[in-house]
Amino acid sequence: MPTAAENSDRSRYILEVNGITKDFIAPLSFAQLAEFDFKHRTPTRALEDVSFSLERGKIMGILGPNGAGKTTLLKIISTLILPDKGSVSVNGYRREDKIKSSIGLVIEEERSFYWQLTGKQNLEFFAALYGLDSKTAKDRIDELFGLFEIDYADKRFGKYSTGMKRRFALMRGLIHNPQLLLLDEPTKSLDYATALELRNFIKEKLVRREGKTALFTTHNMNEASDVCDLFIILHKGRIRAMGTQDQLRHQIGERSASMDEIFVKLTRAV
Amino acid sequence: MLKRLLALIKKDFLVESSYKFAFLSNILGVFVSVLSYFFIDKLFGQKMVSHLEEFGVNYFSYVLLSMAFFSYIGVGLGSFAGRIQSEQSQGTLEAILLTPTGISTILFSMALWNLLFATIDMGIYVILAVFLFKIDFVNINILSTLVILLLTITSFSGLGILSASFVITFKRGTPLDWVISNVEGLISGVYFPITVLPGWLQFMAKFFPITYAIRAVELAVYRGYSLFQLRKEIAFLFLFSLLLLPLSLAVFKYALRRARMDGSLTQY
Repeated sequence: MPTAAENSDRSRYILEVNGITKDFIAPLSFAQLAEFDFKHRTPTRALEDVSFSLERGKIMGILGPNGAGKTTLLKIISTLILPDKGSVSVNGYRREDKIKSSIGLVIEEERSFYWQLTGKQNLEFFAALYGLDSKTAKDRIDELFGLFEIDYADKRFGKYSTGMKRRFALMRGLIHNPQLLLLDEPTKSLDYATALELRNFIKEKLVRREGKTALFTTHNMNEASDVCDLFIILHKGRIRAMGTQDQLRHQIGERSASMDEIFVKLTRAV
Repeated sequence: MLKRLLALIKKDFLVESSYKFAFLSNILGVFVSVLSYFFIDKLFGQKMVSHLEEFGVNYFSYVLLSMAFFSYIGVGLGSFAGRIQSEQSQGTLEAILLTPTGISTILFSMALWNLLFATIDMGIYVILAVFLFKIDFVNINILSTLVILLLTITSFSGLGILSASFVITFKRGTPLDWVISNVEGLISGVYFPITVLPGWLQFMAKFFPITYAIRAVELAVYRGYSLFQLRKEIAFLFLFSLLLLPLSLAVFKYALRRARMDGSLTQY
């Protein structure tokens, strides 16, 4: 039976990540296969003892260079990758189906849609897989089209611009109205104006107005500084620092440091 | 589950129907292969008479039915791996697995869609057989044919799911598909009755479920054999289904878990 304090934490934090460690083992090389050497396979540590909690209604940025473990962490939270150690709970749930229903993972991979189908048909398909009946799905899709100001949804997905494809990725992530959004580099390869528009949309409409919580990865420090309430600096699979921008400034002892400067200071010594 | 199943089937229909030429070329392919066997029968058919006495038909009728049935098995159930591979390379597998839809629903929808598609193929064979080549199906025992069909589907689903597990784990190269489409074609009586083969190959044929399926369907359709007369074939197919289906589902779940452990779910 959970205590009152545990229940209070549960309602305050939508996401709790506890001690996640993940190693990836490289496939056997030809030389190893030829020598029947199946034992000496060096693991690469992708994440080490990663723990944090995310409050409802906040935007948290996971910042790190390529290979820092950002995408692996999002995939572990969304149950696509299993951790070696540690656990994840979303909304207090650890069961995979409950976690899947509570999160919307927005992957930057455009190919994760059926290009032969229209944008609307894609959304209808994923809505059904999330268990929405056709009436609820139709209402939800209309609502999202209103929110995202989409007026040409019956075009084949492959014919949309990159910016529009990214909007559809966001709409798919929101189709089942999840409370937690996981965004994997949502503005990657977008032009400046579209990226800015999408950032504002996430911050103002999704989080401030709709009350969602967002966790997003980026290696663009200015973008993170613009959007996020909280930051995690991830480097070589380990959390180097976390907190608000002011807390991170305090940690490095520079009261007016930019996110770029904070990031460089916190990761340079490693 | 039904809602999700229908959504998966509708999606497959919309995707397939966007490739109109592929559908037409499939029909043309069936027609060309049937015509080829028609002329082979003209040339060598008489030499097969003694081997076909048991079935009471000529070579062309025999091969047309077994080809239709074999293609049903190949297209219908040997292609789980192809479907998984296609979703993997399209990048959509990850997006599907992110939803709370269970893996068994996803696999079941693949089987259903493939069966629908294969039934169209089977229909083309039957239409050509009846209207163009005037083949007589008057002796058919419908109950026996349906039972054999059902047991063949279940036993081949097992093989298909095993093959899909190979794709999840090794990404390419599914030895089971190769066996189904090549070795089975040679030794299981699809292109000719197995009595044509030397003794050692006839012995090997006994280990493949399709041998029993082809023989049983030929006898049910052309000789009207009852379920009792086909009890040996039915027992073997039932045994194959009983062993392969739960085994393949367990192997598939293991393969999926392994892919999630090493992060290779979307690699292809």
